[in-house]
Amino acid sequence: MSRQAPLVIDNGTGYTKMGFAGNSEPSFVFPTVIATHQTAGAGGGGRAPPPVAGKPSHLASKRGIEDLDFYIGDEAVVNSKTYDLHYPIKHGQIENWDHMERFWEQSIFKYLRAEPEDHYVLLTEPPLNPPENRENTAEIMFESFNVQGLYIAVQAVLALAASWTSSKVAERTLTGVVIDSGDGVTHTIPVAEGYVIGSSIKHVPIAGRDITSFVQQLLRDRGDSASIPPEDSMRVAEKIKEDYTYVCQDIVKEFKKYDADPYKYFARFSGEHSVTGRKYDIDVGYERFLAPEIFFNPEIYSSDFLTPLPEVVDTVIQTSPIDVRRGLYKNIVLSGGSTMFKDFGKRLQRDVKNIVDGRIAGSETRSGSLMKSSGVEVNVISHKRQRYAVWYGGSLMASTPEFFNVSHSRVDYEEYGPSLVRRFSVFGSSS
Amino acid sequence: MILLESHNTIIQDVLTDRFERPSRADIQFVDYDNVRFHLSTQEAKTVLLLSMSIQCWPDLAKYGAREHLQEVYGSLLLGEGETEPEYQVSIRIDLEALPEGPEDRAELISKLSHLKSTTMSAPFLAAFSEQSSLQANFKDAAGAQQSDLGGQGGEKKGDLKIIKYREEEAIFIQASHDRVTVIFSTVFKEETDRVYGRVFLQEFVDARRLQSLQSAPQVQYSNREPPLEIRHLPGLKNGEDWGYVTFILSPRHFSNPATAQSAINRIQLFRDYLHYHIKCSKAYMHSRMRHRVAEFLKVLNRAKPEVAVAERKTASGRTFRTR
Repeated sequence: MSRQAPLVIDNGTGYTKMGFAGNSEPSFVFPTVIATHQTAGAGGGGRAPPPVAGKPSHLASKRGIEDLDFYIGDEAVVNSKTYDLHYPIKHGQIENWDHMERFWEQSIFKYLRAEPEDHYVLLTEPPLNPPENRENTAEIMFESFNVQGLYIAVQAVLALAASWTSSKVAERTLTGVVIDSGDGVTHTIPVAEGYVIGSSIKHVPIAGRDITSFVQQLLRDRGDSASIPPEDSMRVAEKIKEDYTYVCQDIVKEFKKYDADPYKYFARFSGEHSVTGRKYDIDVGYERFLAPEIFFNPEIYSSDFLTPLPEVVDTVIQTSPIDVRRGLYKNIVLSGGSTMFKDFGKRLQRDVKNIVDGRIAGSETRSGSLMKSSGVEVNVISHKRQRYAVWYGGSLMASTPEFFNVSHSRVDYEEYGPSLVRRFSVFGSSS
Repeated sequence: MILLESHNTIIQDVLTDRFERPSRADIQFVDYDNVRFHLSTQEAKTVLLLSMSIQCWPDLAKYGAREHLQEVYGSLLLGEGETEPEYQVSIRIDLEALPEGPEDRAELISKLSHLKSTTMSAPFLAAFSEQSSLQANFKDAAGAQQSDLGGQGGEKKGDLKIIKYREEEAIFIQASHDRVTVIFSTVFKEETDRVYGRVFLQEFVDARRLQSLQSAPQVQYSNREPPLEIRHLPGLKNGEDWGYVTFILSPRHFSNPATAQSAINRIQLFRDYLHYHIKCSKAYMHSRMRHRVAEFLKVLNRAKPEVAVAERKTASGRTFRTR
């Protein structure tokens, strides 16, 4: 019997990406949200009556099918008027296991339409996920769903694997720095041969949502937002961010360029009022290059966080073990929707390179110009699959025959129990 | 979600998207019971090829699946020679020759997303038509209904259709003059599942006693022993893990085509429905267990012994007070 394609499920804080291994795009992308009915008190909900001593509340007493009455993803959002929305994943980690179990239940049966007993499953986890969470996940997967096998991969490692599609990548290594920027937060994660260097991970509190609100703020400051209906202003800002922005190489020159010939560079955005249908037009000006600039010059947006992203990347690498630093500089990989700006990689590469070259030059002079460095190669890799890089990496890995050997099989689980998944096996490097 | 949907969501989503904006595609996905799909654009962006591989194709083909597909999909269905290798059914959708109206398009999408259930419905339809011819003959030959009681000898039956829809599990369909019997054999890989399955199926049998569900098909469940209708077949397993579920469909369940189709759509997903609900029940039990553990932890936390506060004195006899 030919083996069925493994399921690849990447549950993120904001969005869940699901599909089958071997495809280049996830089949489903929807918010990680579950809508349960208000009256359902299951799962330690607030409405359960307080237990009376000596008279345990019977689980079966007068219970109907409330536990099946829920929606996930987009359908949950649609039904948010009559149902309660819950986000089972917070900061990348699963917080509510009851909701998560049911979320998986419906995502597998309703959306993927796969009998989990026939499939291997690849799930993802954030770096520094506590082993207890892995165990809980394994328990649910093996005991509720009877999956054939399970592999829990670290998101950063999958993002590295996804970068192998880029033509710039000569050898397939699992060493590199992953810059993962989603909606809420940007992580910079160094990975050495498939293992995350936990102590050097840095978080940057600037990501997609901040860029949107920065665009919004720019529009408001210029007075252009008067024509935008207030309830749409967030959506319009998001649209402008996605469609018009790019990263410039020199901000001063770019300003001059725009001032010299505004007609050439200013774009126009036309929208329609969602209720009245009134048409409106707005100019898109400096925000075209200023929006992603907040990664490189955070002071234009926030006053609490002032370290530019290239500097953060450099610090991350400098705090990693010395023997992997060269490999880390050579392979800086982008992942997530907020790294999709045009020329983002180019600018980042230039800035990191400047920092590195400056340091090398400094130490050469300090040695009295006696020592010469051979230089450090800095490479930022951007590729086509960046948006769903983690999922794509998972799909790539799960479609190799090796995947079935490294994942934890059902037989092993029965032998060792949930502690099985504490053992961590990396694969795919230099194969 | 109580019932599983009979259409495939991925086909529906992708086609709805591609009908609006044609673009390249190469997607492989699955459906229940070892069905594999491949949706691709091979010649041009505007020509979609949807192929399906279904494990029980030899059985289905025997009962006229191809003819039935031909009837439903017409010219969209590719002949056996043109079918994509490794797949058994291929459908070619030319995006430039789509129906105009949005309703017609929606209907086409829904038809295509029911590809698996349409294929699976062939033997059921065959059994239904067999039943009606048997019924006609039966009335002619015997004239009276009493011979119904006369025992098995006098009763004529349609041939037993066997569809091996999974590795070890099969559906048996048999028509007789007043009913169509559908038997599922199912295996539980795990001890826990078997127990849940038994409780669940018992509930099924009981539920039918309710006034409102009188018109539902009769359901019987037997563990270990195969039911009499199929006991004569060789190679039936009757171990502890095996269960047999029998549905008895009477003519009112399939007399008009729309009801017949919905009955078929439901019944062919029965095994998946059963296993889905076993999983849901487990999830429910797990959430109750988590809830109970949380409650116990609260009790334990309350039960911490209080630290006895003894009066503490310094050497000079002055007392300390902790603030």
